Amino acid sequence: MIKRILILFAIFYLLALLQTSFFIHFKIWGIVPNFILISVLLINVLEKPKKNTGIVAGFIGGFFLDIFSSNFIGFYALILLALSFLIKIIFRKYVWAPTG
Amino acid sequence: MKFTTVKSKILFVAILIGFILSLNFFQKGTKGFFYNLSAPIQTTFWQLGERVSGFFGTIGNLNNLKKINDESQKTIQELLAEKASFAELKKENEILREALQIGLQKDFRLALVRVIGKDIGQESILINQGAGDGLSAGMPVVTQQKILVGRISEVFKSFSRVTLISSKESTFDAKVLASPGEAGGSDTDTTGVARGQGNSKIKFDLVPQDKTLKVGDLVVSSSLGGIYPGGLLAGTVIEVSRNDVSPFYQAEIKPLFDIQNSSAVFVILNFTK
Repeated sequence: MIKRILILFAIFYLLALLQTSFFIHFKIWGIVPNFILISVLLINVLEKPKKNTGIVAGFIGGFFLDIFSSNFIGFYALILLALSFLIKIIFRKYVWAPTG
Repeated sequence: MKFTTVKSKILFVAILIGFILSLNFFQKGTKGFFYNLSAPIQTTFWQLGERVSGFFGTIGNLNNLKKINDESQKTIQELLAEKASFAELKKENEILREALQIGLQKDFRLALVRVIGKDIGQESILINQGAGDGLSAGMPVVTQQKILVGRISEVFKSFSRVTLISSKESTFDAKVLASPGEAGGSDTDTTGVARGQGNSKIKFDLVPQDKTLKVGDLVVSSSLGGIYPGGLLAGTVIEVSRNDVSPFYQAEIKPLFDIQNSSAVFVILNFTK
C-alpha cells in the first residue's frame, strides 16, 4: 500500500503541475477541465468496490489541488475525500458488478 | 492497509483530516516548499503550453487571418490618428503644467516577474518573486501595455499569488472616460464599481441612470478607492443591462489582459494605498 501511495503522490503531483501550468492554455468551450477531479472519479468508479485506493487518491489529489490554489489546505482534500467515500458507499451497497 | 473495524477506520480518517487541517498553521511554509520544488518544472510547462497552444491557435485561426488582419489595420489607422492628436495634447499639457508649476506625473517603478502557474479556480496566478524580492501584499500587477491584471494577495518568500481583477474577491473603483465628441458619448466620466464575477467576467456596478454606457467603452481603474492607481486599462464593456426601477444600472466587462498568452507581467512597486 505504501508503494501505491507513493505512486499516487507522484502521479497527482505531476497532474497538478500540468493542470496549473500546461493545460491552463487549452480551453474547451471556455473551460479548463479539472484532470485531477476526473482521475479521482475514474479511479473510484473503475476499481473494485472493496478496495480503498480511490479514497487515498481522492485525498492526495485534493491535497495537491489545495497546494496549487489560493484556498486553505484541506478544502479540496476534504471535498474529494468525501466524494470518494460517497462513491464507495454507493458502489458497495447499491451497485452490482460482475466479477471477472 | 486493511482496516478491520469501523472504529479504526473512523480514527484513521479523523487523524488524516486533523493532519491536513493542521498544515494550515504552516501554510506559507508548506505551499512555499512545493512552489520552490516545482518552479523550474512549472516554468517549463508554462512555456511549453504557450508554444503548443499558440501553434494550434494559429492553425485554427488560418481562415480568419485575413479578417483579423483587416481589423488590425483599421485599428492601427484609428490609433495613429489618435496618437497624432495626443501628441498635440501632451505638448499643451506640458506647457500648462510648466505655467502652473505642477510637476509631471511620476512613472511607476516596475518589477518584471514571470507567471509560473494559474489557480485551478482560474482566479489567481502564481509569480516567481516574493517577499525576498521586495514584493508585498496589495501591490498592483499590470501587463506590459499597462493593462490591469490584479493585485498581490499572498506573499511567500520567493513567490507571490496575484488575485485577478475578475476574481470574486476583487472589487475596485473604475470609470469610463468621457467622450463628448462621440455619438452617444458622455460629457463627464462615468464612475462605478467593478466587481469580479469569476470565469473572466467583471460586473461594472452602481452606474448612475443619467450616465450613458455603450458596448465597446473602455473601462479604466480609478484612484478613488486607493486600491489601484488611476488610469490603468481594465476592460471593455460587452453588455449593458438597464433596469428603470433601480437608481443604478450594471454593465458586463470583459477583461483586456490575456494571462494564457503572457508569461511575464509587471508589479508596481511604488504604489502605496
